[in-house]
Amino acid sequence: MRAIVAVIKDTFSLADLPLSERIAFVAFLVFVFIFPWIVHSSYPRAVMINFLLFAMYGLGWNLIGGYGGQVDLGQAKNVGFGAYATALMITWWGVPFWVTVPVGIFIAVAESLAVAYPMFRLRGHYFAIATLCVALVWQQLFLFWDWTGGARGVELPIKPTPNFTFMEFGTVGYHYFIFGLFTAQFLFMNWLRKSKLGYELQAVRDNEDAAASLGINVTWTKVKAYLITAAMGAVGGSFYAVYHLYIDPRCVMHIDLTILIAMTAMVGGAGSIWGPIIGAALLIPLDMYLAALLGGKGFYGIDFIIYALIIMVIAAREPRGIWGIIERIRRKRLIHAAGGQKST
Amino acid sequence: MELAAQIASSGILMGFIFALIALGLTLIFGVMNIVNFAHGEFLMIGMYGAFLTSTLLSVEPLISLPIVAVVGFLLGITSYYLLIRYLLRGPMVAQLFGTFGLMLFLRYLVMFIMGPSPLAIHKGILIGKTVSLGWLIFDVGKLTAAGFSILLFMLIYWMIEKTKLGRALRATSIDAEAARYMGIDTEKMNAFAWGIGGATAAIAGGLLANFYYLTPTVGMLFVMIAFATVALGGFGSIRGAFLAGLIIGVIEMVAGQYLSQLKISFVYLAYFLVVVFRPRGLLGW
Amino acid sequence: MLLEVKNLHKEFGGVLANADISFELKAGEIVGLIGPNGAGKTTLFNCIAGYYKPTSGKVFFDGKDITGWPAHRVAKVGIARTFQVMKIMPTLTVEENIMIGAFCRTGDRQVARREAQKILELVDLMQEAKAYPPELPIAIQKRIELARALATRPKLLMLDEVAAGLNPLETKEIIQTLQKIKKERDLSLLLTEHVMEFIMTISERVIVMAAGRKIAEGVPGEVAKEKKVIEAYLGEKYAKGK
Repeated sequence: MRAIVAVIKDTFSLADLPLSERIAFVAFLVFVFIFPWIVHSSYPRAVMINFLLFAMYGLGWNLIGGYGGQVDLGQAKNVGFGAYATALMITWWGVPFWVTVPVGIFIAVAESLAVAYPMFRLRGHYFAIATLCVALVWQQLFLFWDWTGGARGVELPIKPTPNFTFMEFGTVGYHYFIFGLFTAQFLFMNWLRKSKLGYELQAVRDNEDAAASLGINVTWTKVKAYLITAAMGAVGGSFYAVYHLYIDPRCVMHIDLTILIAMTAMVGGAGSIWGPIIGAALLIPLDMYLAALLGGKGFYGIDFIIYALIIMVIAAREPRGIWGIIERIRRKRLIHAAGGQKST
Repeated sequence: MELAAQIASSGILMGFIFALIALGLTLIFGVMNIVNFAHGEFLMIGMYGAFLTSTLLSVEPLISLPIVAVVGFLLGITSYYLLIRYLLRGPMVAQLFGTFGLMLFLRYLVMFIMGPSPLAIHKGILIGKTVSLGWLIFDVGKLTAAGFSILLFMLIYWMIEKTKLGRALRATSIDAEAARYMGIDTEKMNAFAWGIGGATAAIAGGLLANFYYLTPTVGMLFVMIAFATVALGGFGSIRGAFLAGLIIGVIEMVAGQYLSQLKISFVYLAYFLVVVFRPRGLLGW
Repeated sequence: MLLEVKNLHKEFGGVLANADISFELKAGEIVGLIGPNGAGKTTLFNCIAGYYKPTSGKVFFDGKDITGWPAHRVAKVGIARTFQVMKIMPTLTVEENIMIGAFCRTGDRQVARREAQKILELVDLMQEAKAYPPELPIAIQKRIELARALATRPKLLMLDEVAAGLNPLETKEIIQTLQKIKKERDLSLLLTEHVMEFIMTISERVIVMAAGRKIAEGVPGEVAKEKKVIEAYLGEKYAKGK
C-alpha cells in the first residue's frame, strides 16, 4: 500500500524541480488546455496538435536516447507498427481504436525484443547504424508489401464525429485527445526518471563499467529502455492513424520521421524531462510555418536546411541542447552567488 | 550459367565502385574514429558536379573529374575545420548528430538549388555504351569506374604505406597524442583525411553520374552501402574495404535479380549480421 | 573463507598476464596486493570482479563458485570495487552517484537516498552532495568512488590504487577513512597499490606479485625483508633511479 502511494506521489510530483520550472509547466498546461477556446482558426490548431504529438514522440525517444545515451535511429518503425496496427485493424475488421492500441504496442515491443539482444552487443556508432539498418528494412518492406497497401498506403473509413469507438473527432476533439495522451506519457516519464530504472539508465550512459560494478545489468537495462521507447512510439503511431485517417510508409515508417523525433529531443535537450517539449515547441511550428510559407513557392527543403544548421551548431557547441544552455547559465549563477557569499 | 556469370561480373564491377565509396569512409574512421554520415552527400555532390560541368560547359563528363575531385577535397577540408573538429571534442552522440546534420544540410541545400526531380547526363563518350566480352556484356561507364577505383586504391595505398605523409597519417591513427609529441600536426592530418575522403567520394560520384540518375537523396542509399562495406571489411581497413566492396556488389546484384525492390534491404541485413557476428570484419581477425 | 582464488590463469592472445595465482582472504581481513607495474594486479582484480573471464582456475566467494560471472552479478553477491582509472558518472551529482550504488540492494528511491546520506556522512562528503564530480578535486573524486562502492553493501571491497595521485596528507586521510568504514561496516578489504608506505601501514597481510606470478605472501614487515621481493620490487625501483 505504501509502495503504491509512493508511486502515485512520484508520478504527479515535480517537487524535486525548482519552483520556476513548476510554475512554467503549470502555465504551459493551462495554456494548452484553453488553447482551442482562444484560437479558432484551423491551421494554428493543427500546429498545436502536431506539436503535442512530437513532444510525445520526443519524450519517448528521450528515454533510450537521452537518459540511456543510446543513439537509436529507428524510432519511426515503432510509430509505423502502431499506425499500421490501428489503421489495418480498423479498416479490415472494424476493431475499436482502444483494442488496436495494445496490439500496436505488442508488435513494436515484440519486434524490438527480437532485435534488441544482438543490437546491444554493439556500442556507439555501430549501434546507431544498426538501428538505422533495421528501420530501413522495415521501411522497404512496407513499401513493397501489398497486403499493407504498399506505397499507396491505407485510408481509414470516415465516421460521423465525434466517434469514441474509432476516436474520430473535429480539431477540438483531437486536441484534447492528444493532450490527454501527452499528459499521460509525461506523467509516466516523470515517474520513470525518478525510478530505479531511470537512475540505472543514466549510470549506464555515463559509464558502463562503473554501472556494472554497482550491480547493474548493463544490457538488460538498455533493453528495458529500448522496449519502453518502442511502446511509446507505437501509441503515437496509433494516434497518427486516426488523426490523419490516412497513412503510408512515407509518413509513419520513414527515416525523416526518425530524424525529426530524435531532433526534438536533442535540440531541446536530451536527458531532461523538459528537453523534448522545448525541442518540439521550437521545431514543429518552425517546420509547419516554413512549409506553409515556402513550400507553395517551389522552395524545397528549406526547413531541413534550417534544421540541419541547428543540429550542427548544437552538436558542436552544446550537445545537451537548449536545456543544457539554460542549466549551464543557471549553474554559473549558482556558483557565482555562492562565491559572492563566501567573500563577504 | 551465362546468367550467373553475367550477374557475378556486373556485381563485381559495381563492387569496385562501392569499394571506392567506402575507401574515404574507412580512412576517416581509421584516423579519428568518427563515422561520417555525410559521406554519401559528398558522393551526391560529386554527381551534381559532374552534371553541372558537363551540361553547363558542355564538356565531356570524364574531363570534369579533376574539378569534381578538387571540389570534394575542399568540401572535406571545410567540413573538418568548420564542424568536425568541434565534434571530436564532444561525446559520441554529438559526433553522430553532427555528421547527420551535415548530411541533411548538404542534401537539402542541393535540393534547394537543383530541385528534387531526378536528372541524368545524356551526352558523353561513356553514356549508354556497352562492350561485350564473349557473351558477357559490360556497361562502359561501369568499366571505367572500376578502372578508376583500382587506380585510386593503388594510389591511396601507396601514399599511406610509402610516403612521409602516409606515415604521419598512420601515426595519427594509431595514437594521436603520441603523434602530437612526435611533432605531427594531427589537426592537419585529420583535415587531410577528410579531404581525401571527400575527394574519393566525389570522384566516385562523378563516375557514377555516367550511368546513374542524380537525385539529391541518393546519398543515403550509398552511405548505407558504404557502412555495410566498411563494417564487412573491418572499420579502418583499406584492403578490407576493397574486398568487402566486391562482396557487397555481388550481394546487391544477386538480390536485385530476384527481389529488385528489396535489394538494398539485403545490404542492410549484411551490415547487421556482420557487426553483430563478426564485429571486426573480414580481415579483422 | 570469504574469498578463495585457485590456480587462476589469464592469457591475452598468448601473453600470460596471471599465472597460477592462488590465495585466500578471511572475513574481516585486510589484504594488500603489491608488485611493480605490469605485475598483473589489475588483471587479477578484473578476473575476480567479472570484467575478464579467467582462462582457467576458479574463484570462490562466500562458498559460491563465481568464476566467470558477469560484473553485475559479482556486485550483487557482495564484491564491490573501485577502478585504477576513475570511472565516475560525470552528469550525476555526488549524491546520485552514491544512490546508484545503493540501488543495488533496493528498488525504493527513498531507501536509496537515506543510504546515500549515511554514506556521505561516513566518508565525510556532506559538503559535496549536490556538486558534480568533474568540478571536484581528485582526492574527493576518489572518495566518491569509494562511497559508491560502499553503497552496494559489499562484504568485500576491492580498491585498485586508491591512493595513487594523492599527496601524503590526503593519503593519511584516506587511510583513516578506510579504517573507519571497515570498523562500521564489517568489511574485508583487498587493495592493490604500489605506494609501499600506504599498503604496509594498512594491510594485515600482503601478497607480492611480479610478472604475473605470486612470489611471496605474509605479514608486511617480514615480506619486505624477503630477498625475492626486494629483487622484484625494489630492484625495479632502484634500477629506475639509475
